[in-house]
Amino acid sequence: MLIKLSTSAGQPLYLQLMQQIRHAIETGALRDGDQLPGIRTLAEELVVSPGTVAKAYSELEHEGALALHHGAGAFVCVNRRTRRFGDRVQAARERVDHLILRLRDEGLLDDEIRRLFEGGLLLPRVETVGKR
Amino acid sequence: MLWYKAWLETRTRFLVAVAGITGLCSYVVYELGQDVTPRSTVDHYYSTLHSGHRLIAIMWLVAMSLLMMGGLVQEKAAGVSSFTLALPVSRARLMGVRIWAGLTQAAALAVLPWIVISAVFSVAGWPISLFQVRFYLLLLAGGGIVFAGVAVLISSLVDGQYTAPMLVLGVLLFCANAPRSLNSVNPLVFMSGRDYMARPDMLAGPIPWARLAANVGAAALFMFGSVKVVQNRDF
Amino acid sequence: MTCSPAIETAGLCKSYGSTRAVRDLNLTVQPNRITAFLGLNGAGKSTTIKMLLGMIKPTAGSGTVLGRRIDNPADSVAIRRAVAFVSEDKRLYSYMTVEQIVRFTSGFFPGWRSDLAAALMRKYELPPGRKVRHLSKGMRTKLDLLLAVSRHPALLILDEPSEGLDPLGIEQLLETLVTECADGTTVFFSSHQIAEVERISDQVCVIHKGGLVMDASLDALRQSWRQVDIVFASIPDQADFQMVGVERIRTRGRQMSIVASRNVEAIVERARDFQASTVDVTLVGLREIFLQTVEEN
Repeated sequence: MLIKLSTSAGQPLYLQLMQQIRHAIETGALRDGDQLPGIRTLAEELVVSPGTVAKAYSELEHEGALALHHGAGAFVCVNRRTRRFGDRVQAARERVDHLILRLRDEGLLDDEIRRLFEGGLLLPRVETVGKR
Repeated sequence: MLWYKAWLETRTRFLVAVAGITGLCSYVVYELGQDVTPRSTVDHYYSTLHSGHRLIAIMWLVAMSLLMMGGLVQEKAAGVSSFTLALPVSRARLMGVRIWAGLTQAAALAVLPWIVISAVFSVAGWPISLFQVRFYLLLLAGGGIVFAGVAVLISSLVDGQYTAPMLVLGVLLFCANAPRSLNSVNPLVFMSGRDYMARPDMLAGPIPWARLAANVGAAALFMFGSVKVVQNRDF
Repeated sequence: MTCSPAIETAGLCKSYGSTRAVRDLNLTVQPNRITAFLGLNGAGKSTTIKMLLGMIKPTAGSGTVLGRRIDNPADSVAIRRAVAFVSEDKRLYSYMTVEQIVRFTSGFFPGWRSDLAAALMRKYELPPGRKVRHLSKGMRTKLDLLLAVSRHPALLILDEPSEGLDPLGIEQLLETLVTECADGTTVFFSSHQIAEVERISDQVCVIHKGGLVMDASLDALRQSWRQVDIVFASIPDQADFQMVGVERIRTRGRQMSIVASRNVEAIVERARDFQASTVDVTLVGLREIFLQTVEEN
């Protein structure tokens, strides 16, 4: 599994790490029972604080995507819940792809689309903010 | 390990001093020995010892002052005091090892020339007065220790790699040219031994233990003061 | 965290005459993490670190390192037995060779890791027989780092460790810090390089004019700080946006740019109340946050 964390993204590194592991599980790059590198090894490889890796692993364990065996390492668990989650992500991706195509048709540049998505995600959850 | 450091730090200075003083001894014994034929062997012997003592004393004082340089304040000027002070050692211990290392080297430098002179004399079959040699050595050490104390104190008070040795040299020059009224406390006068001469070049009489002790006391005071100064300084 | 802090100071002060280098500093560094210590030049970083190590005596206040008092001479020696320090100067004894200074330093620490020292010597490509005075600044820094981590310290304090290192050297430094932390060492380092801080630290402490102005986890900072860019039909008064969490407001023409440390929802709400035509929310980097915090104080 190839992981690349970006410090300029502004997003917490542990979240980036979680997303990339989830992504690898969804795309099949990681399968059920696969072993992930230990906290120390991965921290050294990515040159990030061991705390960052530990936090990502423990959150993923909480979600049920990883099983941590003390001393033995972290193992990928693909159960019904993660599989269902994977399916949902797959369906969402199709809708997003569709939307992006339409926006491009309407003459928006990719940079503008990216900005809109990023901005939209950063807006508060509760309400849908009118942008017109 | 601090001794190891002290040795590595000062060994160049020490070896240069050893070479210099040994060279000086050869000069004293051979050169001065050449031109005093009219006098008796014994006269010649005392006169050689006396001039030898004077030359050695000057050289030894300069060497010792330089050996006593160093320490935390000088290290601060060079930027290495942070490394030394991060070691798990108290400042008193750092100072203590440094002072003892300096004194040991100074003692070695004081004894060495007399060993060389005595050796050459015995090879030449000349008489050796152990009393004279011992007296000269005590004068050397007893006066020199005051300057050692002054050197340690100055190097604990003054930053800068060259300022401290220059100041010590200044103190030496002052003592060399001090008014006669100060003779009784001037360590340089004590070292010259002029108060204990039976003839212009022969020491006699009881060894001045009291004055020697007073000098050692003054030196101890200077050194104690410098430990206190260093303990209370910010680095 | 329930464990006792690796470093804790209360009301720590240091004055030089009328200049107050450190004033009323309350600093806490948690164990087993990497904490970055940020501040402008002259903010009091080095003075603070030197007080922790007993090199400078505090004018007032108190502090502990690994539970031992920094102002007690016997405690201070015990602190230095368990703490390694890489100083700002990175100067070492010029008269020793690399090998000699390694042997010298190892003599003070019973837990010295000779295998690690040898491995780092190879990794950093340090010539064992060369005199320290003939090493480049980068090499000296690496040697200093080697001497620090081979002690197997409980706490590693570094004062601008990356200064004078080339990009490869910085990478090796960061790797070493991460490995140390994974081995259970608490790392506390000051730096001007925001990029490296963003990568490896868990916690960020900012000191300004001798006082602590921020102590936050990097994740929390990244999650809570936002920039809100708003375009209005007619620009409202800045005072209308002086709300909780707003750190900075800038207006140019009909645009307003707000940097907020929290409360973004309310700011967006307020913008809509003032008939904003667009509201953009973007992430804020640590550089921005740092500059903002320092300028504000």
